[in-house]
Amino acid sequence: MRRLVLAGLLLSLPAEAWAASQAEAEAALAAAVQAEAQAAALGNRWVPAEAALKAAKAALAAQSWDIAAAEASKAHAMALRAVEQSKEQETAWRDAVVR
Amino acid sequence: MKPRAAFPRCAALTLAACLLGAAGPAPRADLASAAADQKAFQDHFKSRFPEVPFADFANGPYAVNAAMRKQWEEIMQFPPYDFALDEGKTAFETKFANGKSYADCFANGGIGVRQDFPYFDTKSGEVITLDLAINRCREANGEKPLPYQTGMMASLTAYMAETSRGKPFAIKIPDDPRALAAYEAGKKYFYTRRGQLNFSCATCHVGAAGQRMRGDILAPAMGILAAFPIYRSDWGSMGTIDRRFTSCSAQMRSEPLPPQDVAYRNLEYFLSYMGNGVPISGPGTRP
Repeated sequence: MRRLVLAGLLLSLPAEAWAASQAEAEAALAAAVQAEAQAAALGNRWVPAEAALKAAKAALAAQSWDIAAAEASKAHAMALRAVEQSKEQETAWRDAVVR
Repeated sequence: MKPRAAFPRCAALTLAACLLGAAGPAPRADLASAAADQKAFQDHFKSRFPEVPFADFANGPYAVNAAMRKQWEEIMQFPPYDFALDEGKTAFETKFANGKSYADCFANGGIGVRQDFPYFDTKSGEVITLDLAINRCREANGEKPLPYQTGMMASLTAYMAETSRGKPFAIKIPDDPRALAAYEAGKKYFYTRRGQLNFSCATCHVGAAGQRMRGDILAPAMGILAAFPIYRSDWGSMGTIDRRFTSCSAQMRSEPLPPQDVAYRNLEYFLSYMGNGVPISGPGTRP
């Protein structure tokens, strides 16, 4: 019951309380760009990460801070996973070789 | 008693081998391992598809799926690459502005040489594909390079492949550490998972070869390049190996590399070497 009340209170907050600020959007984009640069250095940029990055930049230019922050966050998460994948595969590929 | 007697003989042989090794050239372990890779690779596909004649691997998915083969045989009554073949032959025989032609750039006048590409050029230290050789020929004769994925490049390589039909892939790895490094890099690329779907080339073309991926039957990796360039119904036009590599990358949701990137050339070198002995069948058609 307490949880329901808490959830109701949270949902009744004005939209502005959820909105990302310009600074937050810019910080999210900077983090995404940095992570994507690492993925690129490993030769492993993901198509949807690039698309999310592009969408984040466009949203930032259009001053849609919420969308920019959300897209940058997606790009960041995917870029980090790409880096992790490349590091795993540095040795794991050998296990797949036909012998 | 016998095992004890065998030990000193074994030790003596080992010592002799060490001494010989110290005095003579180093063993060509890497070349041997490339040859062993090739044997294991080919044995894998032969045992996986025992009913498929070796040469038939040149026909990709049609070699391993009877229903698709039947459709393909009907398509081949009027091959959709015929226009490209005619265009390629005309372009190949047309002289450049300086009076020279493609024939001046290739061994045997460029006729029946497809099976030797790609090769490792020990002078420049890089893998040279047929497509790259065509553009270098053009540039050396004052012509602009052609786009790599479709259009005239596909037509020219279609004609050159057609003059090599039936000739088995004969890719060589020279005894040069750079050639072995290129081969190894191609091998690593082939087996490395990448992209959002976490696929490697091998995921589809080794592990799932012959199986269905949505509407397609996945071609076995052995001899997979023998039919290129191809007319692909999905594209509605001709495409080169570069077009296939870049579209495969995108399908794995991995950003494609530029055409003729060193990584793609090394991949082509590895894959072609794995297909040694499979006859050239290009140009081909695919769904």
